[in-house]
Amino acid sequence: MEVKFTDAQNAFRAEVREWLAAHVPSERLPSFDTKAGFELHREWERTLAKDKWGNVSWPVEYGGRGLDLTHWLIIEEEYYRADAPLRVSQNGIFLLAPTIMEFGTDAQKARFLPAMASGDEIWAQAWSEPGAGSDMAAIRTKAVREGDEYVISGQKTWSSRAVYADWCFGLFRTEEGSERHKGLSKILVPLDSKGLTIRPIAQLDGDEGFAELFFDEVRVPVDNLLGPEHGGWGVAMATAGFERGLLLRSPARFQAAAARLVDLYKKNRDRVSSGIREQVLQAWMTAERFCAATYALVAQVGAGASISSEASANKIFWSEMDRHLHRTAMTILGARAELESGADAEDNGRWLDGYMFSLAGPIYAGTNEIQRNILAERVLGLPRK
Amino acid sequence: MDFRYTQDQQDLIDAAKAVFDGENTLERMRLIVANEKVDDLWPQFSELGLLGIMAPESVGGLEQDLSVMAGIAEAAGYVALPESLVELAGISVPLLNAMGETGKIKQVLAGDLAVGVLSPLLSNNNQAVHCDLFIRTTRDGGEPVSVPKVKFETRQSIDPLRGLSSATQPGEHNSFVEHHGAVLTAAQLVGLSKRMVDMSVEYAKERHQFGKPIGSFQAIKHHLATVHAQIEFTRPMVQLAALQSGRAVHTAKIAAVDTAMLAAETAIQVHGGMGYTYEVDLHLFMKRAWALCGEWGDRNYHMKQLEDLILDGEAELGPGTSFAA
Ligand SMILES: Cc1cc2nc3c(=O)[nH]c(=O)nc-3n(C[C@H](O)[C@H](O)[C@H](O)COP(=O)(O)OP(=O)(O)OC[C@H]3O[C@@H](n4cnc5c(N)ncnc54)[C@H](O)[C@@H]3O)c2cc1C
Repeated sequence: MEVKFTDAQNAFRAEVREWLAAHVPSERLPSFDTKAGFELHREWERTLAKDKWGNVSWPVEYGGRGLDLTHWLIIEEEYYRADAPLRVSQNGIFLLAPTIMEFGTDAQKARFLPAMASGDEIWAQAWSEPGAGSDMAAIRTKAVREGDEYVISGQKTWSSRAVYADWCFGLFRTEEGSERHKGLSKILVPLDSKGLTIRPIAQLDGDEGFAELFFDEVRVPVDNLLGPEHGGWGVAMATAGFERGLLLRSPARFQAAAARLVDLYKKNRDRVSSGIREQVLQAWMTAERFCAATYALVAQVGAGASISSEASANKIFWSEMDRHLHRTAMTILGARAELESGADAEDNGRWLDGYMFSLAGPIYAGTNEIQRNILAERVLGLPRK
Repeated sequence: MDFRYTQDQQDLIDAAKAVFDGENTLERMRLIVANEKVDDLWPQFSELGLLGIMAPESVGGLEQDLSVMAGIAEAAGYVALPESLVELAGISVPLLNAMGETGKIKQVLAGDLAVGVLSPLLSNNNQAVHCDLFIRTTRDGGEPVSVPKVKFETRQSIDPLRGLSSATQPGEHNSFVEHHGAVLTAAQLVGLSKRMVDMSVEYAKERHQFGKPIGSFQAIKHHLATVHAQIEFTRPMVQLAALQSGRAVHTAKIAAVDTAMLAAETAIQVHGGMGYTYEVDLHLFMKRAWALCGEWGDRNYHMKQLEDLILDGEAELGPGTSFAA
């Protein structure tokens, strides 16, 4: 068991730190859930891409640096330490790209990966439907094969980034009369397709962070099928595994928030009750535990272990931590917590934004109830019925 | 950076676990509780080299670090081991080594000497009656105190498997010893938590109500999944604390206490009325957990240390500060 970074890893950290110091915008960018903010975040993706910092974990053959997860964690630590902009290209670079590398054809790899890495094409995910939330196998949106095209009809919803993004990927029912997990296919769809209507949905903060997608005989070439036709469930599970597993939320994000929380407490220590001290420490400790566990998981993955159902514990842990951390900040702020802007709004309302977003954590990427079902049944072995 | 046990380390831990699981069965524990005579496991521990896990190779030890000892302590916690092996091999032997007392270590390894530690963070000495010698901790080492010179008061623990005494000469704070004590206590709590979950899962598969196993009810599933997740995020913290000092250690002990208390409360709930009896074995693990929560710095102690370090100090916090350079 070795918990020291090597000289080479420390040198790498210094290099990342230096690059970020020179490039991170001095002002926080506006939210990428606004038109202007989205384009500024796209610009940031281009800046990252120019010096190859956007997709370091991709293999060299696909234009990445082929770095292992330990290096990815180091970058994340420096990234959040520098308070760099959130990654608007997260869906593509971290979720879709590994699936394309595993299941895609050479033509698909060549067509999609470079534009994803450069920030020219930003991706949204389109799994959920009005009738298929937690129960994703209830998907009904159809993709009927006609010659060398799929004709898509139906409705997707809650698609994050879809208002301003360029492409989406999701599951569609390709086999007529099929049910549940069978007969679904993973298909890539341009968001400017004819027949595709995008209705933005305002999120809790009022910004249009996700959208409903109405498909009215949208035609895409069969070349946009990713993986086996009718075998999309297995392909999708690969994506869900990556997402729930490691790549969606690294510990650095929460450690940075916990450090800011300690500062917030220190600034307000004279006016808050002493009971808040334990809450602040609890938030800090939880982030440290998440860090230790992630490094342990990364070491196991590095040694060839694969993450599956165990990843459900991860999702529960970080999302509940994030909510508690932000609630603690709201408690410290007291009457100022509701302020979105103005001189008295701490950090321009950042804690409030963070608290609202933390409430979504236990819902997206598979609700925490679903994760607990998975842990109980697949890890602990409790009976399904 | 490679935060996992090497194959050799894992093999050692697995070997110890096999002995604990195989020997300290529920039947054995029931006999001890009933004051019946049972086979002493110390000769086996000695023979297998478990007493010398942390002793230097020069005196016949295995010279393993605290992270390996923590793995063994977790396994000991899993069976609520009555023998004070973790204290002897994981605290007394390293302290003797730090004091340069190689002669005494050899005696310990041969099974001829049981050494206890007197520390201000240890309010109750487990199995003190079996000790032949005590080391009273000093700031940077310790001084031997012969048994007749230690004034003991016998105490009755709620844990029927611990023979407790309190000593009146507690010694001085010693960060080396307290690091070992806190980490190994936390590791045992992880093992105990896991055992309580495992027992509850087994029970939930067997016990039927409304024509179904109670484990099929989602409320039961979610309770147990919650504890499981807590355990998975406590164990690595304890392992990390074995290789770090200061705030990681306080965090690990507090996390282990909170996880174990939750595991115990959840386990009793899953067992229903059965859980509230002296007849179902669950109580042995629950009581050991309660007992260990307070040793080598209770939750208040570690929380106060963290308050000093994190809230009232100027420590550097945030991403990239969790691992000492
Ligand atoms: C901020 C945000 C971003 C999102 N982004 C995307 C995206 O980009 N693309 C996309 O496709 N989707 C996205 N989603 C949708 C998300 O995946 C779904 O909201 C989620 O899967 C839950 O589905 P639902 O909303 O229909 O809730 P429901 O499934 O209706 O669940 C409602 C409640 O019932 C509980 N419940 C349901 N089934 C069970 C069960 N079997 N056992 C116990 N409890 C149960 C749930 O846990 C929840 O508490 C996003 C959601 C949010 C909040």
